Amino acid sequence: MSLLFDQMQRPSFFGTGATEAEPPEPVRIVHAAVEGRARLKIRGLYRSESVRRKLESALPRHDAIRHASANVLTGRVLIVFDPARDLEEIKTWLEQLLLDAGHEIIPENPIDDSGSLRSSQRPGSPVISSDPNSVLPQDRKNWHALPGDTVVAALETSMEFGLSQASVERKLGHFGVNSLPETPPRSGLSIFLGQFKSLPVALLGVSAVLSAATGGLVDAAVILGVVLINAGTGYVAESQSERTINALGHVAEQNAMVIRDARLLEVPAKSLVPGDILVLTPGARVAADGRVLESRNLMVDESMLTGESLPVAKRVSPLDQPDVSLADRLNMVYMGTVVTGGSGLSVVVSTGRYTEIGTIQSLVGETRPPETPMQRQLAILGNQMVLLSLSICGAMFLIGLVRGHAWLQMLKTSISLAVAAVPEGLPTVATTTLALGIRTMNRHKVLVRRLDAVETLGAVQVICLDKTGTLTLNRMSVLALHSGGRRITVDSDVFYDAGVRIDPYQSDELLRLLHVAVLCNEVELNGEKGNYLLKGSATEGALMHLALAAGVSVEALRQRYPREQVEYRTETRSYMSTTHSAQGDGKLVAVKGNPVEVLEMCGWWLKDGARLPLTQAERTVILMENDRMAAEALRVLGFAYVEPKQADQSSADELIWLGMTGMADPLRQGMKELIALFHQAGIDTVMITGDQSGTAYAIGKELGLSGGSELDILDSTRLDQLDAEVLAGLAQKVNIFSRVSPANKLQIVQALQRGGKIAAMTGDGINDGPALKAADIGVAMGGTGTEVARSVADVILEDDNLRTMIVAVSEGRTIYNNIRKSIHFLTATNLSEIMLMLGSVGTGLGTPLTTSHLLWINLVTDIFPGLALAVEPPEPDVLQQPPRDPGEPIVGPADFKRYGLESLTMAAGSMGGYGYAMARYGGGQKASTIAFMTLTMGQLLHAYSCRSDHIGIFSHETLRSNRYLDLASGGTALLQWATVLVPGVRSLLGNTPIGPLDVAAIGAGSVLPFFLNEATKDAAFKDKRRKELLSLPPAPREYG
Amino acid sequence: MMKQNFMFTSESVTDGHPDKLCDQVSDAVVDRFLQQDPFSKVIAECAVSTGILFIAARFASSASIDIPEVARRVIHQLGYEQADFNARDCTIMTSLTELPAPSYPFIDEREMSEEELESVTAKNQANVFGFACNQSPAFMPLPISLSHKLARRLTATRFQKQIPYLAPDGKTQVGVEYREGRPYRIHSITIVATQQKTAMRGLAPLHDDLNAHVIEPVFATETLRPDSRTHIFINPEGLVADGGPSLHSGLTGRKNAVDTYGEYSRHSESALSGKDPSRIDRVGAYAARYAAKNVVAAGLAQACEVHLAYSIGISRPVSVQVDTFGTGRIPDTEITARILDHFDFRPAGIIRAFNLRYQPQLFRGLFYRKLAVYGQVGRMDIGLPWESTDKAALLR
Repeated sequence: MSLLFDQMQRPSFFGTGATEAEPPEPVRIVHAAVEGRARLKIRGLYRSESVRRKLESALPRHDAIRHASANVLTGRVLIVFDPARDLEEIKTWLEQLLLDAGHEIIPENPIDDSGSLRSSQRPGSPVISSDPNSVLPQDRKNWHALPGDTVVAALETSMEFGLSQASVERKLGHFGVNSLPETPPRSGLSIFLGQFKSLPVALLGVSAVLSAATGGLVDAAVILGVVLINAGTGYVAESQSERTINALGHVAEQNAMVIRDARLLEVPAKSLVPGDILVLTPGARVAADGRVLESRNLMVDESMLTGESLPVAKRVSPLDQPDVSLADRLNMVYMGTVVTGGSGLSVVVSTGRYTEIGTIQSLVGETRPPETPMQRQLAILGNQMVLLSLSICGAMFLIGLVRGHAWLQMLKTSISLAVAAVPEGLPTVATTTLALGIRTMNRHKVLVRRLDAVETLGAVQVICLDKTGTLTLNRMSVLALHSGGRRITVDSDVFYDAGVRIDPYQSDELLRLLHVAVLCNEVELNGEKGNYLLKGSATEGALMHLALAAGVSVEALRQRYPREQVEYRTETRSYMSTTHSAQGDGKLVAVKGNPVEVLEMCGWWLKDGARLPLTQAERTVILMENDRMAAEALRVLGFAYVEPKQADQSSADELIWLGMTGMADPLRQGMKELIALFHQAGIDTVMITGDQSGTAYAIGKELGLSGGSELDILDSTRLDQLDAEVLAGLAQKVNIFSRVSPANKLQIVQALQRGGKIAAMTGDGINDGPALKAADIGVAMGGTGTEVARSVADVILEDDNLRTMIVAVSEGRTIYNNIRKSIHFLTATNLSEIMLMLGSVGTGLGTPLTTSHLLWINLVTDIFPGLALAVEPPEPDVLQQPPRDPGEPIVGPADFKRYGLESLTMAAGSMGGYGYAMARYGGGQKASTIAFMTLTMGQLLHAYSCRSDHIGIFSHETLRSNRYLDLASGGTALLQWATVLVPGVRSLLGNTPIGPLDVAAIGAGSVLPFFLNEATKDAAFKDKRRKELLSLPPAPREYG
Repeated sequence: MMKQNFMFTSESVTDGHPDKLCDQVSDAVVDRFLQQDPFSKVIAECAVSTGILFIAARFASSASIDIPEVARRVIHQLGYEQADFNARDCTIMTSLTELPAPSYPFIDEREMSEEELESVTAKNQANVFGFACNQSPAFMPLPISLSHKLARRLTATRFQKQIPYLAPDGKTQVGVEYREGRPYRIHSITIVATQQKTAMRGLAPLHDDLNAHVIEPVFATETLRPDSRTHIFINPEGLVADGGPSLHSGLTGRKNAVDTYGEYSRHSESALSGKDPSRIDRVGAYAARYAAKNVVAAGLAQACEVHLAYSIGISRPVSVQVDTFGTGRIPDTEITARILDHFDFRPAGIIRAFNLRYQPQLFRGLFYRKLAVYGQVGRMDIGLPWESTDKAALLR
């Protein structure tokens, strides 16, 4: 039996005791605040299936323990015991049990542990099992404390050759695939059963039982029918939504670069096994936990594991102490983290669920998206409505008794009313709407990866935009040069001096500048001469392109001056210099970088081929030119060179100034209009750029980022040093963050959030992960974005077009509004039923609606218009409204007041119809029929009223038509009229035929409330808006 | 009537003082705009606190400049290299507003006709004061003159590495005892110097160094020198590490007395730095100083204060008042009349007389910024047009 296996799977209970996870005593009480429940930490339980099984079978043998469950991932046992008994007593018993059974439960020697997880699948491994007493670590956590070659040997692999294909297959058999466990999707049955698990449905069930008990078997059957139909609708809607939601967050299969059989291979990440040699390159996601064997400035972003936002530099040497936290294990890389820079090799030590991230995921257990805030609100709202209708129905029952109605009849009516009034469709409507919204967005090339992102999208208040790649094309090209005191412009690869075409070969300094730009440049040229493919950074690519366009033969030049040394730009030095050997004994130092810094190092300059001393006057001219170019939104680079006479003499003062290049990354089409659209929608725009602020200002002005008011720029290279509170204060009004690095985006988004803003953030780089995660809405680009950015983003714009973001916002807002519309409809109509019943019973006019009527309303008129409202098209002014206040409840007190008034008009209309019938026919079935028809027609019309809270039939603006609503209400109206026109249906509901005058009364009773509600709509909305406006501070005014 | 026997103290600060840092950034921005476009209209205000510099600029100009970069250059040149505040790392928040370009065409004041000069009116209400007295060669009150000299010397010792451990921030103060209206003796000298946190020395070495490299050289050429009873205070509140914006905040225009006469005479409340020459509250002060200095230089009085009052919409000052504090050889009204005959106090006239639009170009972008430290008046080091006494002969 190999130790290898045990290192992988075995816990450390027999280990050195140095690890933090293991308690010193065998049993420790972790949590015992709840009477009769306790969590105990058991030494040896951690990651040991066998111990778990044995504990779970042994524990219930104690007479005080009622139930026990052990968790191998936490190493803890939860016991439920007789509260009368002392926990200490149980603990002592347990300790004794562990002690007695020591060898049985907790094996002293792991090799004897035949009960260990999956051990039966594993054949013996001849290499290591021969020496069970080897010095190999017995704790998988201690890899970091061992020298690299020891780890490699322990894992039966080799750094140069990797594993053989055969051993990979064998190991894959032992350890299983390298993937994290996924939560299985909910089954159809569980979705169906889930429909019954709500308070409204429970109420219906109680009603059915009551009805049956009081002899109303038909009613009971109808109520059960309601429940079933409801569950059916819910099931259909939710299982479709479930499919959509389950598709969220799925990332495409990953690959990993490994060395196997001495060859570099790209293999599916799933197939990795311990011992694989993993090749780490920038942008790659680490596919399994590994020990670093080689590091060339390897930097890894471990924020998702440790929360540390800055990338960590990895090294090879073993750590002195085994007992260090994950974040400090500098020679380990962990699954799910991202290589942000450098490169390296690591040997895989754990895979799949035994990786650190796997452990965390198993601990968290649930990967299902949690309920969104709106869903939670709706659940609360539903329960409140249940209580409300219950109390009103109770009141009605009492009033009815006082009025002298038969108690049984009253009870039945009250129950049916309660049933009709309960908005059991609310959760279904919400889930369906969200899922449909996700699908609509997908059609618009917006991939939503989290359910709650849909509603958050509608609340976005500020959007942070990356300049490069998002606002611009990320295609740099040189547009201007300044060399030898001349301003040279470049247009379509042709050089112009004051409009006159020039040949760069005629100007010594210009040619030298191009040469330096080629030499101090790491772009790789691939492909044929004349049709090169450039591979490298955008800036250097632009320079190379310029040199090629000027006719510089790059390859020959590079051969003549082979590069000896490169000094990259660093935090403290913003220029790059390369040293080249020249013919004979000579050297050439080529420098490019920040013009100000490069100029400072120069003592000379070239003009018309002559080397002249650089006087203060010329420096001033050059610096002014730099400013001018920067202010024209150009990225300016200065160039200098020196050919030291002696090899060792490269004094910086000796540099010769050659000139500057100005390059730009053209803005994408239509960005200015898009920014204006965001502003119109009340969304602030913030640009984040690494440019100098002069450049940033020019772009900001061009884009209209400040929307006409003053443009605020925060120029900082060290945002992280700024006091968080100060930054939060400043960030609220900043339009542009200039000269910031991608790592600062996290601080920016946190600063905005600290100020209470709902912030969206775009990003596509490998450094953008933490910021995208922290943002309320992380937006990644589908095409250009790195895999890391896409995997943490909430929203992915598949067509890389920021314009689709405005579509997403519009959809997000519409979905939220539509859910409100459904709630509006369901609440108002249900209230109208209650009011009608309460009103007529209270005024002694009897009960206008029969139980069958109420159930019919519940079945037919409620559901379909409510669902149809959830798929309303966007209101025309949805992007002219400010974002909603995220703290505001979905239905506020003012809304309830309005809903109440609306239902009052509907109830009054129906009362009118009922009153007319009472007067004409003296009550009875005829009057009930007319009241029933008036109310339902009024409710159907009200569905149209619910389409917008401020645009109505009397408004100038009109809404786009909603086919579904027309179908739903038309169909419902047909069914409704069938209840009086078709004899069979008529008798089922106890209706009577009606005459033309009755039809007129029904029409008046239903249309008049509709008109009244439509007419008062505008005023109600304006009143609400005015109150909002009053609470805003007055607009700032400009003085002197 | 001026008091006869009294004590007067004035202070000055080094260029690294946060208030002065703000003044210099503001004026460097003005310089930059005017250098590229002499007809730029610009108002630049600045505040600094710990690691953050705030710049609010409103401008109408064809020039395009990178304002944070200008500020960083100033910070760099001042020698701030502290961890808490340095040119590379400090955060700069700019709030930029572009003003609408004026509808009327720009006319170079140098080519304006008499009528056009008259038509350019004051855009601000302003009371500006100019003062001169014969207490020092620069015709400045002695306390501020000596304070400036000490402050300059304090900065120089740092740059010349005579006291290499000094930090940029510093403050000097000189108290002068007057007898019968004339400086009689040096009552007190105070220097508050800041030191680099990384190279702190004790109080005693600091005391010795400042005495040897600052106080002694400064007074070596003075007629009035500290005597045995002169109080000399070196960092009376103890040593200060680093100082500058990481210790106390700064604001443009908070050192108006340092910019002018050390409170020895009246000075206007409005700031001088950060304004282009079309602002009469700035250039009027220069014109008033020009007049006062020539009065004293002409020997018409030992001390003279000129007060100009401007009103919006009127080009000439609505009031010109001269006060010689009883030292005049001729009546103040007569002096006023002579001043009005020989000086043009109209906004456009002042710009023309001092060539204010083109000075930044002539001085290679370092004109207004130089004014922002060690006094906007009484400067003998730059060759300021308002320090010239060319009209003295005319006034006699």
